[in-house]
Order: sequence, then C-alpha cells, then structure tokens
Amino acid sequence: MDLELVERAQRGDRSAFALLAAGIATRFLGVSRRILRDIDLAEDASQRALVSIWRDLPQLRDPARFDAWSYRLLVRACYAEGQRSRRWAPNLHVLPVDGPAVGGGLDDVIARDQLERAIQRLSVDHRTVLVLHHYADIPLDRVAQILEIPVGTAYSRLHHAMRAMRAALDADERPAAREASR
Amino acid sequence: MSTDRETTLAVRSWLEEGVTRLPDRVLDSVLDQVPATPQRRSWWPARRFNDMNTYAKLIAAAAAVLVVAFVGYQLLPRNGGIGGQPTVAPSPTVLAKGNFTTIGATVGLDATRAGDKVTGTMTVTRNEGDFTVDLQCSRATSAGSLWIAGDVTTSTDSTNAPMNTRAGIIFQRGSAVKAIFIFQFNDPRAATCQAFLDNMIAQVGEPDFASLAPIVGTVQLAP
Repeated sequence: MDLELVERAQRGDRSAFALLAAGIATRFLGVSRRILRDIDLAEDASQRALVSIWRDLPQLRDPARFDAWSYRLLVRACYAEGQRSRRWAPNLHVLPVDGPAVGGGLDDVIARDQLERAIQRLSVDHRTVLVLHHYADIPLDRVAQILEIPVGTAYSRLHHAMRAMRAALDADERPAAREASR
Repeated sequence: MSTDRETTLAVRSWLEEGVTRLPDRVLDSVLDQVPATPQRRSWWPARRFNDMNTYAKLIAAAAAVLVVAFVGYQLLPRNGGIGGQPTVAPSPTVLAKGNFTTIGATVGLDATRAGDKVTGTMTVTRNEGDFTVDLQCSRATSAGSLWIAGDVTTSTDSTNAPMNTRAGIIFQRGSAVKAIFIFQFNDPRAATCQAFLDNMIAQVGEPDFASLAPIVGTVQLAP
C-alpha cells in the first residue's frame, strides 16, 4: 500500500485515488466474491466499497491503517449488497472454476464440491472470517479489528467454519472407507 | 479423518482457485462517480500521537508519571491518616446542560459533576446517523475550552461513532458558544475515559474554533 497515494487521495487528488483504486480493486473482488459466492453481487460490493473509500477517506486519521480500514468498508458493502439483494439463501449458484483444477482428478472435483457446499451452508459471519484469514492472509487479531468484534469471537467463528469444512472433507472420504471395508 | 493441517491446506487451495480481476467497466464506473461524490471532510485534523518519535513518547510518558505522582502526593491526607477529618462528598453541579444544534447536528446534553465524577448523557442526531454517549469524564484546558466525553452506548452512525467507542464534545465558552465533536475513530480504545481525553488533547490541542459557527440554541456551562 502506497502511503503517499492514500494521503494524496485524502486531500482530494482524484488521479491518486484512481491509482489507489486500481491497485486494490482485484483484491477487493477476490474477497467479496468469496464472501458473497456470486460474481455480480461481488462486483457491486466492490464498486460500493471503492466509492465509500473515496467519500470517507478524509476521515481516516492514520493513513497507515488504510488496509484494515478499507477491508472494513468492503465487508460492510458485502453485507449491504447481500441484504439488498436478499440472495443469502444457501442455494446461491456455484461459481464456475475459472482456471484448471489443481490435481484434476475425480477426487479433487468431489472434494471441491463438498467444500463448496460446506461454505454455502456457513453463515456470512463465519464465511467472512474464513475468507479474510485464509484467502486474504490477514491475522485473526486484525480480522477482529476489521469486523469490529472481539478477538475471541473471531477465533470462535474461524474454528466453527474450519470444523464445518473438515466435516465436509471427511464426508467425502466416508463412501470410500465403506467401499474399502466391504 | 482429515487433520487440521490437511483441512487448512485444502481450504486455502480451494479459496485460491480461479483468477478474479475486476472488470474495467466496474472501475470506470467508480471513477465516473468520484467527481459527483463529495468527500466527507474530517471534523478533526489528522495529527496523531504516533507522529511522535519513541524518545518523545518516553519523555511524555515520564512527564505524565511525574505529574500523577505529584498530584497524588498533594492529595495525601496531611493530618495523621487514620481517624483524620471525615470527607464530605461534593454535591453535584451542572457541568453542561442544554439543547442546541451545531455542525448540522442536533444535540441534547445533560451532564453533572460531583468532584471529579462526571455523569450524564449526550444524544446527537445527524444525517449520518444518531448516537448516544454515556458521559463519564471532563477536562478544562488552560485555553478555556471544556471537553466532555464518554462511551457510545447506542449508535446508527457506524462511521464516526460505532458502539463501544469513545466520543465527546468540546465547548468554547464565550458570548457565542461554539462546539465540536471528538471521536475515537480508528484509534485503539483508551483504558479510561480520562486517558481518551488526555490523548486527544495531546494529539490535537485546541480545535480551530474560528472556522466554526456558534451553536444555535442554549447551553449552560459550568464556570
């Protein structure tokens, strides 16, 4: 994150904001897409968050905290988009995999399908902690700061989410185990 | 059964699948909205305690300890400790009370002071949202301004005054009273209300009241 760009954008420099927005846009879409599980909603949330950043940037007291602050606006935008569209139902369509599957075997396809189903069953609160920590690589104490929740709550949500994902992976193994025992 | 490490690796691998790039049309749309979207200017200059170097912070901390020690010494009982003269609880007096508008906000304020103890409530209604502050501390500066602060207990203004942060108000006395709000914003929560005020005073000093219009309404301030 370029501190000078943040400070220039805070002072109303539009060209600096354009550079700043271009630098974080893809990261924003990556996070919002994984929280919302819908590419259209994710694009809308990213757009909403970027406009909020421009509008509220002068109120950011410490430019060095831009990353955490901007993630907070993104998460709020994700919640707002989800509530606006009323499409939080667990049967949101599954996102297509854009790249080649890692490994590529049938087992991997099944495992991914199980994980996809598991994450869709998670609440948005749990999914958000999972994505911020394991996708955006943000330490849990900072995740708690971004979400404005106690650190213990962040740990608890991550633990719950990972337990659900683990159960999904183990469920995938169960048919094979039964086959082996015959 | 999957181990924790296997689960973590599988989840991370699955989350990282796929290339996601924000389409140019979305970014263009954002940049198109910028000229028509005014920035919300901070009500507060963005100067921070963090701007001080470590050495300066140490000196400030040492000075604060000395001041606390000196004040504590001055407050010690002088006539024998146990069995000394009984203390009389100070009676509460009005610290700040009134209803007024300032900087586009409607404020209802009722704060009393009994010795160092401050109690009361401030309710603020603004376009950005409403919030209520449970007032707990105050400070009068040598420049004559009165600072009152506490905990945000209810709020629909998650940008400036999220729940459980500290917030307050500063008054400039005079024939035309002026007032401005203070917010914790992204700063860590201070250990005490008084520490919050002390940090704010150390960070920003006296507000620039010259650029503010006087309040509209009435407020009674302690002398």
